[in-house]
Amino acid sequence: MNPEFIDINDFRARMETLRRTGMNFLRDIIGMDWGEEGLGAIYSLENTSTGQVLQTAVRCCDREKPSIPTVCDLWSVAELYEREVYDFFGIHFAGHPDMRRLYLRNDWVGHPLRKDYNEDEAINPIRMENEIPEDVQRPYELAEDAEMEISDKLTNKIHGDQYIINIGPQHPATHGVLRFRLALDGEEIRKIDIHCGYIHRGIEKMSEKMTYPQILALTDRLDYLSAHQNRHALCMCIEKAMGIEITDRTQYIRTIMDELQRIDSHLLFLSCAAMDLGAITTFIYGFRDREKILDIFEEVTGGRLIQNYNTIGGVQYDITPDFAKKVKEFCQYQKGKLQEYNDVFTNNIITRKRMIGVGILSYDDAISYGCTGGTGRASGWACDVRKRHPYALYDKVDFKEIIYKNGDCYDRFLVRLDEIVESIHIIEQLIDNIPEGDYKVKTKPIIRIPEGRYSASVEGSRGEFGVFIESKGDKSPYRIKFRPMGLPLVAAMHKILKGAKIADLIAIGATLDYVIPDIDR
Amino acid sequence: MEFKETYIGRIFYGMRSLLIGLHTTLKEFFTKKVTEQYPENRKTQHISERHRAMLYMPLDENGNNKCIACGLCANTCPNGTIVIKTKTVTDEETGKSKKVLVDYTYDLGSCMYCQLCVNVCPKEAIAFNNHFENAVFDRSKLFIKLNK
Amino acid sequence: MFDFSTITTAIDQFLHSVLPSQAALLVECILVALCAVLAYVMLAIVMIFMERKVCAAFQCRLGPMRVGPWGLLQVFADVFKMLIKEIISIKNSDKVLYNLAPYLVVMSSVLTFSCLPFAKGLQVLDFNIGVFFIMAASSFGVLGILLAGWSSNNKYSMIGAVRSGAQMISYELSIGLCILSIVALSGTMQISELVAAQADGWFIFRGHIPAFVAFIIYLIAGNAETNRAPFDLPEAESELTAGFHTEYSGMHFGFFYVAEFMNLFIVAGIASTLFLGGWTPLHISGFDSFNTIMDYIPGVVWFLGKTFFVIWLLMWVRWTFPRLRIDQVVSLEWKYLVPIGLLNLLIMTLCVVMGWTF
Repeated sequence: MNPEFIDINDFRARMETLRRTGMNFLRDIIGMDWGEEGLGAIYSLENTSTGQVLQTAVRCCDREKPSIPTVCDLWSVAELYEREVYDFFGIHFAGHPDMRRLYLRNDWVGHPLRKDYNEDEAINPIRMENEIPEDVQRPYELAEDAEMEISDKLTNKIHGDQYIINIGPQHPATHGVLRFRLALDGEEIRKIDIHCGYIHRGIEKMSEKMTYPQILALTDRLDYLSAHQNRHALCMCIEKAMGIEITDRTQYIRTIMDELQRIDSHLLFLSCAAMDLGAITTFIYGFRDREKILDIFEEVTGGRLIQNYNTIGGVQYDITPDFAKKVKEFCQYQKGKLQEYNDVFTNNIITRKRMIGVGILSYDDAISYGCTGGTGRASGWACDVRKRHPYALYDKVDFKEIIYKNGDCYDRFLVRLDEIVESIHIIEQLIDNIPEGDYKVKTKPIIRIPEGRYSASVEGSRGEFGVFIESKGDKSPYRIKFRPMGLPLVAAMHKILKGAKIADLIAIGATLDYVIPDIDR
Repeated sequence: MEFKETYIGRIFYGMRSLLIGLHTTLKEFFTKKVTEQYPENRKTQHISERHRAMLYMPLDENGNNKCIACGLCANTCPNGTIVIKTKTVTDEETGKSKKVLVDYTYDLGSCMYCQLCVNVCPKEAIAFNNHFENAVFDRSKLFIKLNK
Repeated sequence: MFDFSTITTAIDQFLHSVLPSQAALLVECILVALCAVLAYVMLAIVMIFMERKVCAAFQCRLGPMRVGPWGLLQVFADVFKMLIKEIISIKNSDKVLYNLAPYLVVMSSVLTFSCLPFAKGLQVLDFNIGVFFIMAASSFGVLGILLAGWSSNNKYSMIGAVRSGAQMISYELSIGLCILSIVALSGTMQISELVAAQADGWFIFRGHIPAFVAFIIYLIAGNAETNRAPFDLPEAESELTAGFHTEYSGMHFGFFYVAEFMNLFIVAGIASTLFLGGWTPLHISGFDSFNTIMDYIPGVVWFLGKTFFVIWLLMWVRWTFPRLRIDQVVSLEWKYLVPIGLLNLLIMTLCVVMGWTF
């Protein structure tokens, strides 16, 4: 799909019109470096009521001081997306209240995803001193004469005299290396400042030098609990671009594997949410049952966490002869165990008190922050990609999209529990009907994608996972962008946290279910 | 007001949910434990045939590997895990020169098990095996010469 | 039932015969302290092992299996590790208080421990307001925790300590009310007499409903006093990493760890003393032969058996429930436990006055 290019002077007005006419979901902002034609960004929008999809793009020819008007007042999630674009491309978003780097250090020299970035290690050595936080940040504004200037208005993130506490980067409840700087008033949280990038590996930058099969190996390492889905998305995108028709058998295998992965992820979610709330026994129960899925994965794909299963045009191996039997056994087993989780944890009065009414994310906020996945569905937003833009076999199977209304922690928790049931239901419909055929179609030895822009998205375990490829016809992409599932969730954090306590932060973080390598990429 | 929302009702239903929880864990207290005692269960432990633990070169019945030293695996590896040294040998009978493998070094420490090398190999000269107990004390021991 | 006071009196007389009375007293004090601390440590080791095995069983695991048969030597290995670890001093901490805090916590629990009647006559401290002393001694443990949190110059520790202060001071009240209702039932505050009064029937049976309610409230509040789940907020590891003892290492941490376990033992011990008859055997009136058989089981076994049963109950609870939030902890105490406890005390008093007890 080719985006609609908007002149930079009309950009703001056009985006406002789009927002007013119902384009309320900003899927992603993709920073671009078009070389001679300047820097810019592609905005991927969707109307959640009609399902209409639109991409707009804006270009800024000035490579020295590029600037684009911000849209973060129209879509809240743009606040972090624009910071990411600023970090990697150095594009200032005029009017953005908090134009800091998102992933890299404040003292990083250059913007790495630009094509003219100097990769010399001497410029950005491994720094041994601490990063000084930019607590008081002056926003950049577009002055009357269209020049960038630094505003006098100070946007205080966190004052020095508040009781500041760091949750992370090494903290048991952040499930990885995410860092929250909290300003506390007693137990209550006043402000939150999110620092990402502790596990930023520059996968998008690396991908620009890799061949497509090599990039596939990296997708498993984004959100490691949606490894199959991530890889599915990239394979789908490449197959679409190259016009490869995959066999029915592959579709069946991929769909079943995606759903098994979803159950795996949701079981881990359940376990970790329980552990964050202090119920360590439930954690072990979840892991005990998850082990059974991992065993199936190991048998079929050879990997437990990093499976390397989908390949361009098919899957790596055919399923094993006893695959269907094992999966059916697991489905039966898991159905029985769900009641146990409910008995020991979900229906427990303490759990209910800890989660009901805590961390409410409203329907409008969920869309504005682009919180897809279980989080969005708990707020009443029917955001399941499997229903909105069906791919693989999801238009052929019968399943229910789980939607709750309250948007609190408890609903977010229940959505995932119910989705386990739905995933089992999907698997049971498919497992007996896997058609005979090839599990893989022959592809050319060297994969080249024809020139153009391609995108694909799948429902990952915790939201919409999107892939965007801009190709110049080479072995490697000109630009590849993965839509993170977790970044919008983290962006919504400060909205959800209004008036919450430290213990609530843990419950909210647990039920938002972000995975850090997916945020940082 | 419903009984559930009264003071007594809250205590009653709260206690009930707690007791159900206690009942569940008590049942698990007496069920069979799931711990696998790893080093002791080496004999019974099941590892999938497809499990990727370490690259190796399957040998044919004469004890020779099938590598033709084409270098495709080394080129396709994202991490530069494989380093191949070759020499050119001239066949005395036909007079044609041919590349022969001298040294096939595999760096276990930087392998990410993506299987691209195995997929790309035209002769199926390399494969992954199940030997997963690869801990060593010295990094240099992770550089393994695959051809014997 | 064998009376241990015959042994202790014999030792006392022997010492007095060979030593001047001041020196004899000194030697006795040292002997008693030695025995108490030894018992304290041995019980702590048993309990740590028990906790790990019980926790594992609830979680479908085997628990420690490596060191020794069934992992029996695991705890000794852990203790040894703890002993040889460096005690790290923290920059900008209040050195005196930082080093004092763990000793305060241990001291309070040793003092309370010495009030427990292990068997007839086997008790270090026994005087007419024993119950009062237990409450007073156990409640200054919170001081150590507060000081630990304050002095270690760490924000997590500070929050943990403040939480702990709020929680422990609140729950003292419930414990007090429960003990009071038993005191009302028995009419004495001396521990040996409390136990002796239960020879014909444990208080939990004699006091029937109000005693049972008091027992439940006591267990809940006791669990909170020992900072164990679901009341482990002061050291909530998923929130505050380790709470008030985040900065402690080596044996200083070991003191907190041991004190926590021993507090659990003490809470269970007091529960078995007050409600389950302490070292008195189970007697059912009318079954005389049964009663005589029960009498052959020594009092120490009865006491430890009951105590470890209560400990197992508390561990069962600990490994089942999620953690409460601080406001819920406080509201549980002030909105539920205290009013119910007060009402229960009233009912108990009424029962005693009207003679509705067994």
